[in-house]
Amino acid sequence: MAGMFPVDVGPQYEGEAIRKADFYVEFGGPDVKSKFELVTLKTMNEVEHEKIEVVGPDIPELTEGGSYPLGILIDVAGSEIEKEMEPVFERRIHLYANYIEGFWHMAQRNDIWMRLHKNSYKKGLNSLKEIGKILIFLYTSEIPIIEKISTTFITDEKKVEEFLPKALEVYKARDERLKGIREEDVEEFYSCSLCQSFAPTHICIATPERVANCGAINWFDGRAAYKLDPEGPVQEVKKGECLDPIRGEYSGCNELAVVKSLRSYDRVYLHSAFEHPHTSCGCFQAICFYIPEADAFGIVHRDFVGNTVMDVPFSTMAGQTSGGRQVEGSLGIALEYLRSPKFLQADGGLYRVVWMPKEIKERYKEATPQDLYDKIATEEDVTNADELVDFLKRVGHPWVKGEVELPV
Amino acid sequence: MTTVAVAGKGGVGKTVIAALLIKALSEKGVVLAIDADPSTNLNLALGLPLTETVGRVREDLTEDITKGSLPTGVSKQELLDMKIREALVESARIDLLAMGRPEGPGCYCAANHMLRLSIDQLAKSYDYTVIDCEAGMEHISRRTTRDIDILLIISDPTIRGVTAAARMKELMKELRTRTGKIYLAVNRVKDGLPKEIGEAINKSGLNLIAIIPEDPNIAPLEVKGAPLVELPPDSPLQSGVREIVTKLGL
Repeated sequence: MAGMFPVDVGPQYEGEAIRKADFYVEFGGPDVKSKFELVTLKTMNEVEHEKIEVVGPDIPELTEGGSYPLGILIDVAGSEIEKEMEPVFERRIHLYANYIEGFWHMAQRNDIWMRLHKNSYKKGLNSLKEIGKILIFLYTSEIPIIEKISTTFITDEKKVEEFLPKALEVYKARDERLKGIREEDVEEFYSCSLCQSFAPTHICIATPERVANCGAINWFDGRAAYKLDPEGPVQEVKKGECLDPIRGEYSGCNELAVVKSLRSYDRVYLHSAFEHPHTSCGCFQAICFYIPEADAFGIVHRDFVGNTVMDVPFSTMAGQTSGGRQVEGSLGIALEYLRSPKFLQADGGLYRVVWMPKEIKERYKEATPQDLYDKIATEEDVTNADELVDFLKRVGHPWVKGEVELPV
Repeated sequence: MTTVAVAGKGGVGKTVIAALLIKALSEKGVVLAIDADPSTNLNLALGLPLTETVGRVREDLTEDITKGSLPTGVSKQELLDMKIREALVESARIDLLAMGRPEGPGCYCAANHMLRLSIDQLAKSYDYTVIDCEAGMEHISRRTTRDIDILLIISDPTIRGVTAAARMKELMKELRTRTGKIYLAVNRVKDGLPKEIGEAINKSGLNLIAIIPEDPNIAPLEVKGAPLVELPPDSPLQSGVREIVTKLGL
């Protein structure tokens, strides 16, 4: 690409960072409030191909060493482009911008941060239009389904602020859509072996409907981590054949379990606490425990001080749960798993939960069915299993009343 | 790209030596300074401001995870990369990253792993990385900081100091981190190294790289709260650090 642009362009510049002492100007970053980038799919008529516009001052009109607002709008059109591709195309801004010699781009959405190196400015990369030309070149040469593309760089602070709420709405809608992804929609899950130093037979599985036990790695984090470091502790798992859609048994997970557990177990139910439950490291955020007196479950999180309804504290239960074994009726979980539509689905899901610390009950109020919320006991209602059983009868908990049918 | 960790028990002048080393290396290249000892304030020694610490970043991330308030479509690794970058204090030739306090209860395996990736990525763009470690070397044992090429242990001319230095050397072996070379510098020496100390060093198998006399110019700077890197060039500590840089071939 030598000669086409004022500076060189290519993947070799990807890891290059630009220090404060070396930048000519920076856009976005911690000192700038107004910033975003957004790719939008438009109709063919709406996009003027290769149009590059700068709204507000361009680089030569900015003071050297300063930090400035920036909104990047990229509009694309093409008969084969689907709405769902917008975020994928948007991530390419990060990739392509970092291909530019002496240009550095970090993060995404309304968190972006960019720096232009003094040397590249001197070489002639002295207008956002030049950046736009390079981006358009890379987009059209790497993604053939883009038939038309235009970019707008907004540096006028007021105009960036005007547009920002619209961008935030788009990001929010995307997140909502992602939250709706089901295990049925994907072919790959992700496994994490980070905790094997504590529990050598434990392997964690993250699916779109099951967050890893520690709560820190969801399916999207797994995907990102695997892409970043394919040899690392997070690996891709082909889910294979779904052997039991209710309990969440997949041939791919079973095969993984054999290898990663050093043959200590060969079947895993992702969504049941019985028979072949998912193992627990030592790092889980909470424990889902079976209460025989009620034939139901309690949940306790790590920060809960004092005894649970089982007369023992979290730490005692953690000792019984952890270590990478399959312990029936004792499951280390991430709290966010409570929001999953598949949460212990084989065992009755949230409708089989009868006790939680008040803090957790309140935090997950909107995830709890309305007819259930008041019927789950907390440490303020009961202190032992006998009191719990009385409480459940008194309030008419749907599980105790026999109103909950297990899926078959 | 060379990574040097400076370690030693309290009161041996570890942080001032780290600061002078950072300053000396900044004349040869750009330096990433990592303050991994929450009790010593490397930033003050360097005369740099302090904003955010990595510890705070990790706590905030863990809290956001617990609250479930993170955006689904942005990976935590990427968020962390950004936050680490934001926590960096940038100056002309030296950038500083403060690790802050070690973690509280709960699980930080994933968070620490992501931190390590972020910091490794960050360090790639520097000629030198210098880590000012606390005595227990928490960040090295938890692998939140990168593998090191040179471990420089600082001691005072006391048996306790040399014993502590020997223990740190053993600790590094036990941790099985990839450490290149390990050296000892004895600081605050008055009228030559006592014979008993020399013998103890020989016995410990530590590789002695420099003997630095007690520096009379430190106290006036400390009283004023002035950056310790402002020590006069002919000061014993400055000469000692220059000697170390030369001997290490940095």
